Amino acid sequence: MLRTMAAFSIFATARALQPGERRQRRHALARLAIAWLAMMQVMMLAWPGYLRHDGMPADALATLDWAIVLMNWASLALTAPVVAYSAWPIWRGAWRSLRAGRAGMDVPVALGIAAAFLPSVHATWTQRGHVYFDSVTMFVAFLLTARYLELCARQCAGEGGRHALLERQRAALGAAADRVASRFVPAQAGLALIAAAAWALVEPALALPVMVASLVMSCPCAMSMAVPAAMAGAHAALAREPGMDAARFDALVADARRRAGRNLYGSLAWHLLMAPLAAAGWVQPWLAALTMLGSSLAVAWYSWGLARPGRPRGTAGPAHAAP
Amino acid sequence: MTILYLLLPLSLLFVLAIGAALCWAVFSGQYDDAEEAAEAILRDDDDGAAGSAADGPRRP
Repeated sequence: MLRTMAAFSIFATARALQPGERRQRRHALARLAIAWLAMMQVMMLAWPGYLRHDGMPADALATLDWAIVLMNWASLALTAPVVAYSAWPIWRGAWRSLRAGRAGMDVPVALGIAAAFLPSVHATWTQRGHVYFDSVTMFVAFLLTARYLELCARQCAGEGGRHALLERQRAALGAAADRVASRFVPAQAGLALIAAAAWALVEPALALPVMVASLVMSCPCAMSMAVPAAMAGAHAALAREPGMDAARFDALVADARRRAGRNLYGSLAWHLLMAPLAAAGWVQPWLAALTMLGSSLAVAWYSWGLARPGRPRGTAGPAHAAP
Repeated sequence: MTILYLLLPLSLLFVLAIGAALCWAVFSGQYDDAEEAAEAILRDDDDGAAGSAADGPRRP
């Protein structure tokens, strides 16, 4: 009874985890926790920078600028571990896919982090210009949150007993998701660079945030979640009713497939909707990261609806919810 | 405002301590099973070491 109850939460730890999987999960949680901790501190330290404007009295401005320099150094000290430790899986993934000669989903993310972090370090050192440490830490924290959800869903799915037909569906849908992402990511990264170049001509101060926001938007983390989360939901539903008959089983598989497809194309549509807004400079980098988290959460919630007890099977759930 | 020279490093030290405590908690396995404590109360076998300790000292 308790075991079946536990199977319905995405955060329920799979009890039969291998030591390696358990270590992976602990590392992911530690990276996530450090990113959130640093994010909140850096946001606080960034606050004086947002207060500053040239209409202030000269002496107040001088004091504020001195304080901002100190705050920037403190932010740098807090952001460095996030970039070095928390974002480590992103660097590793980007390096791997670059070496394999393809644009995986980590490449634009790593580009976005580097493009925001390095100029900020330079601005801190020279004490001139704007820093984006708050955007960097928020971005990493939100992205790692989405990935942690994905990891939980994957590990739950791994525990819930393998089923050949589900597995086959999963392989087919996974291939479809990879195909979409492999076309989508380079196009979006190119678009981000073009938008940044255009803004550099019109308004150089906006070029960097626009590029970072566009690169962040091109991270298909919600898309990458769409298929595993669905399949995890189907596994959980199957674990709840091991003795369901063939007709209901077929209905479940069809429902899972429909949901996974809807998740995939829903998140794609959401990306396409947000991309022009990011390119137009209306979306701050941290806001872009937040929408990514929101769409990932929507995907997870929608997929999990499949396994919710008491829900009639085979009926269409709510459409892909935009955050 | 020179107090910032003291307060900022102090806050960084606090964050460092919190981060270290968090990492210790994660790697010592305290977050491995978040449901364990909630389910424990539903189990019948409360005659373990924790059960007898909760009874308090016995009176003669």
